[in-house]
Amino acid sequence: MRRVLIAVLSLCAVPAGAQTADEIVAKYIKAIGGMEKINAINSYRRTGKFTGGGGFEAKVVEEKKRPNDIRQEFSFQGMTGVTAYDGKNGWKIEPWQGKKDPEPLGEDELKSIVEDSDFEGPLVNYQAKGNKVEYVGTEPVEGTDAYKLRVTLKNGDVLHYYMDTDYFVPIKIDTKRFIRGEEREFETSLGDYKEVGGVYMPYSSETNAKGSPNKSKVTIEKVELNVPLAADRFVEPRAKGAAPSAAPDAANVQPKKPEEPKPAANEPKKPPRFVILSREGGEGSQVASVETLRSAQGDGGAR
Amino acid sequence: MKRSLFIITIFVATAALAQAPVKVDSDTISGLGARNIGSATMSGRIAAIDAVWEGQRLTVYIGAASGGVWKSQNSGTTYKPVFDKQPVQSIGAVAIDPKNPKTVWVGTGESWTRNSVSVGDGIYKSTDGGENWTNMGLRESERIVRIAIDPADTNTVYACVPGKLWSDSADRGVYKTTDGGKTWSQVLKGSNLSTGCSMLSMDKSNPKTLYAGMWDFRRKGWTFRSGGDGPNAPSGSGLWKSTDGGANWSEISGAQGLPSKPWGRVAVTVAPSNPNIVYAFVEAEPPKNALYRSDDGGKTWQARDRSQYMIWRPFYFANLIVDPKNPDKIYKPDLSLIASNDGGKSFSNIAGGAHGDFHDVWIDPSNTDHLITGDDGGVWYSYDAGNRWWKADNLPVSQFYHVSVDMDQPYHVYGGLQDNSSWVGDSSYPGGITNDRWENMYGGDGFWMFVDSSDPDYIYAESQGGEIGRVNRKTHESRSLKPLPQYKEGKQRFNWNTPIHMSPTQKGVVYIGSQFLYRSKDHGETWDRISPDLTTNDPEKQKQEQSGGVTVDNSSAEMHCTIYAVSESPKNPNVIWAGTDDGNIQVSRDGGKTWTNTVANIAGVAKNPWVSYIDAGHFDEGTAYVTLDYHTFGDLRPYAFKTTDFGKSWTPLIASDAPVRGYAHVVREDLINPNLLFLGTEFGLWVSIDGGKQWAQYKGGDMPNVAVRDLQIHPRDNDLVIATHGRGIWIVDDITPLRALNADTLGKEAAFLQFTPAVARIPAFAGWVTGDAQYHGPSKQEDAVITYYQKKRHIFGDLTMEVLGPDGKSLGTIPTSKRRGLSRVTWPMRLKAPRVPTAASALFGAAFGPRVLPGTYTVKMTKDKNVYTTQLHVVADPRSTATDADLRTQFDLSMKLYNLLNDMTYAVDRINGVRTSLEDRAAKLPANDAVAKRLRTASAQVDDIRKRIVATKEGGMITGEERLRENLGDLYSSVIFYLGRPTQMQSMRTEALTKELADVEKDFDAWTARELPRINADLAKKKLQAIQPVTREEWDKSSGAPATTAERDRFERD
Repeated sequence: MRRVLIAVLSLCAVPAGAQTADEIVAKYIKAIGGMEKINAINSYRRTGKFTGGGGFEAKVVEEKKRPNDIRQEFSFQGMTGVTAYDGKNGWKIEPWQGKKDPEPLGEDELKSIVEDSDFEGPLVNYQAKGNKVEYVGTEPVEGTDAYKLRVTLKNGDVLHYYMDTDYFVPIKIDTKRFIRGEEREFETSLGDYKEVGGVYMPYSSETNAKGSPNKSKVTIEKVELNVPLAADRFVEPRAKGAAPSAAPDAANVQPKKPEEPKPAANEPKKPPRFVILSREGGEGSQVASVETLRSAQGDGGAR
Repeated sequence: MKRSLFIITIFVATAALAQAPVKVDSDTISGLGARNIGSATMSGRIAAIDAVWEGQRLTVYIGAASGGVWKSQNSGTTYKPVFDKQPVQSIGAVAIDPKNPKTVWVGTGESWTRNSVSVGDGIYKSTDGGENWTNMGLRESERIVRIAIDPADTNTVYACVPGKLWSDSADRGVYKTTDGGKTWSQVLKGSNLSTGCSMLSMDKSNPKTLYAGMWDFRRKGWTFRSGGDGPNAPSGSGLWKSTDGGANWSEISGAQGLPSKPWGRVAVTVAPSNPNIVYAFVEAEPPKNALYRSDDGGKTWQARDRSQYMIWRPFYFANLIVDPKNPDKIYKPDLSLIASNDGGKSFSNIAGGAHGDFHDVWIDPSNTDHLITGDDGGVWYSYDAGNRWWKADNLPVSQFYHVSVDMDQPYHVYGGLQDNSSWVGDSSYPGGITNDRWENMYGGDGFWMFVDSSDPDYIYAESQGGEIGRVNRKTHESRSLKPLPQYKEGKQRFNWNTPIHMSPTQKGVVYIGSQFLYRSKDHGETWDRISPDLTTNDPEKQKQEQSGGVTVDNSSAEMHCTIYAVSESPKNPNVIWAGTDDGNIQVSRDGGKTWTNTVANIAGVAKNPWVSYIDAGHFDEGTAYVTLDYHTFGDLRPYAFKTTDFGKSWTPLIASDAPVRGYAHVVREDLINPNLLFLGTEFGLWVSIDGGKQWAQYKGGDMPNVAVRDLQIHPRDNDLVIATHGRGIWIVDDITPLRALNADTLGKEAAFLQFTPAVARIPAFAGWVTGDAQYHGPSKQEDAVITYYQKKRHIFGDLTMEVLGPDGKSLGTIPTSKRRGLSRVTWPMRLKAPRVPTAASALFGAAFGPRVLPGTYTVKMTKDKNVYTTQLHVVADPRSTATDADLRTQFDLSMKLYNLLNDMTYAVDRINGVRTSLEDRAAKLPANDAVAKRLRTASAQVDDIRKRIVATKEGGMITGEERLRENLGDLYSSVIFYLGRPTQMQSMRTEALTKELADVEKDFDAWTARELPRINADLAKKKLQAIQPVTREEWDKSSGAPATTAERDRFERD
């Protein structure tokens, strides 16, 4: 820890001169704890709170395991939605309307979770991962100067990392994802970095579709490192051959997964798909669902 | 760990102190976001369009006259602004690289040079489809009308630069680069300092062949000259041709068939499918002004059409577009869009239902029936070669001149727009401010507009040249009220943008100015002329009947020597200010009996500025603020002054090294804090918190560098309402924190800033689905908004915020924003959601808590080890008729239902606990064990009881299954999403459901009493642990937070 601190402090003394992408990435790795500390982590669980519009709150849990296992849970009213990826297959359970069997992820969801599944994020070992990182200049982010890194993922999606010029940690990430040929843009603000196991992680994030005032906010409450995570937490249940409907109510009574945090980095879990519900909800429930949506999402919603 | 962070914090603080004093810059203040309420209904003037098929999808770039560049990647279904971070927003030309659709060129500075036209600062290039832009030079061009890219070598690009409108300049003509914009050479220049390029056309089959129209033009505040001789030089207008890529040019104005000079503006275009065919529109003396056609590459010409909309207003319409496949098919944008199918002999009006005043047309090369055009009202699509038009409803590039507000709840916004009438819109609306929340109230070009302060059913609005009317808001009946000249008095001079002013002190009193100031106390029935001619009355500036150059154009746009700004002192109705467009700042201290011109008391400025705004001080009758605009003389710098002695002396408000850019349109003093000033210029909004010593540009809500023409501070809601000329209306909700921002606060690490009481608004739902192709303006935030300041961005450690009730109990935490400067976070003014029993589906209506009661709440922010607190006052929606007693009754019933949901959750958890335990014990026994069987039977019995409380049918269908939980959820949400007394039925139903739940609980208790002892005896025999239902006490202990799976797990695992 002391060494980390010294490293961070010494970075502060470096005047913001010309930088290359590699220098910035190296300083970032150093600032958050160094490769040794990063490599010492093989799995972790983050637990936190999701806050949406109108005071909607849910518990979020994210579990990640090297190399690319990830499971994200979103829980409220004792129900748990799951989105997971085992390095090959992405799946989800969206139980909100009573359908509790796993479903394959859609293209956009899959892209999102595959990006999230990158255990240390796209900057660490970026070359080995096939990502391209370019330094594209200094730009102020909400009043703070930041080094702007353009990160082009192997799949073509583009992230812009805004690295604080004093501490070299990302304070904002812009994500541009290509879905069925359309650009989808998201902005994520990061903060409340705290040290856990010698590595600094952001404990607070806010994500919104670019230009939208509706923000999904995630506050991490607990990070557990090197927790044992069985492989079957990431594998689609049906693929295991476990009949999901054997004990229909067991799912309610003993939610298989307690809690997992939402990823702070790229795209925190969005609230349950209220919009979809409202479309499927039938006559009476439409108004109710739209009202819920409005309440949940805040007023209006600019486009 | 904690200590380490603390050290870092200390270090940072020390470093910051050592560095520099706290910046008051854009980011200090821009955390107060703004909302753009549009509207795209009236959209705004479009100057240029280009589009390209990328695969099967059409990418469209729209160049707005004063609202930036908009890009669509789905044929116009949605657009995003891509030029917002650039320093100017006026666009003259857009061109996509024919070889690489990701390379896009933009020429800034519109060239449809009407009186209100903005300015540009050069040519820009993007190589990533508009994400990033680089200014590639031509910075002094001011306006660019066309960019032609050599299709064979796309690093070779030509720019057609008309150049400066208001002043002489050598930076005009045709420019060429061969290195992708790194360097430019002026390949064709005008014969004098007022002649530039008005149109350029390239023969794409032989890109070295170019035609250029040259145009000698000049606008002044009082006149416009399109062509003809200048004061010191013969006219430079003409038509030129080069066949060697611009190295050499020959003037072909004298070619056989072309009209004799003098000429004005010239448009020229080569037919893409037959480069020998060239069309030129030549502004010449009637009847020689016409369309001309050459079939031999410009050697000889024949006169073709000279119908009304071929020759009308050439300075505004000088663009010709030939069909890519048919050389005889030509489009000419004008007041109407006209089209010819016979090589220009005749034209038809194809404007259809579009707005009018067209400027550009894009023709789909793969389907020439598919057109996109832009006019003064926005963008239009046609799929049948212009027979019919489909409006783009998603481009909020509206060009407001002025804005005012009323005192409705929520208040309305009023304002007039360039060529788009006068409108009233909602400042907030449930479901968002869609296009249809705006209503047209008048006609023509719109300017000042006010609700009649003595009768809110009526509105004052005007069209250009002082055509004021009083309009009934409901019936739309309109009465013309313009003051008329007396016997033999001749024409009165009303400005294009004639000032109308509502007295701030006398309800119903309204002013209007020509060269005289008028006042009415009876809704315009009679007008008192309360001044002599307040202008310079310079006869040289009153020759509008001769204005226009080769083509006379006297639309009132050049009317000069007029009153332009009026302001009555809020402190004394006898103090009246009037500013004129020709440089007088007049004040009367006796209600208009006598007037004093104070402009000479401003030291060090040139004569005859346009007095663009006067704001009489709100705290002292001798104080006034004024902006002076010299851009009509070619000086684009901002000028603002303040007097505290009725104009005897004036002090400058903008220091020479201030970061303010652009000629000034408006200055406003805050209504509460006299040191808080707002300044609108051609390039944005600037704010000073210290009376003008320092200025910072406001960029909240990603507001671009767009012209800010007018500002209003809502006296009740404290919102700043911003009228932009190019991007509609923006609202900064509640500027109270800016009033509280001072050096003391800025020096602190963090601080709460004062904010207005939070209104717990009536829950309401309106609007409907509109598809993706409509603009939606956001409504005012429904939640309580909490504003705070941080000297530096918070990166490490916790920054948390908690709300405490009047009793000091925590009501939950709020995620915080970490940004430097002012930040805003919101609190929904609701308790946490109740616990809800798990069942087949989520109960969304119960995912929200009851609304808190009006009262005083405490907000506690913890930043590292420092704690900051502030009071948050929650007040009821003033529109609500609910009494305090009603709200209390509602709250009590809400809490009853809330607690009932909690009770129900306990009941279900208790049952589930027993059930799980039964199954758990059974699983530990052999399958055919008799006890195991009995345990399973018991489990089924218990489950039957559970199923009376919650719906359990799964599968994702609409099961329609309702149990107590579902009934209770519906009842709960119907009570909490209303502000007021619950209905008798709701109260009755609460009692009924309470009893029904109690019945089930009683049955479970009976079951427990009857069965558990026997079961536990069985278990004891098997050496298995006895089953004890979880007690309420145990359960409550586990329920400090909203129900989560983790907690549920904890007690269910008995």
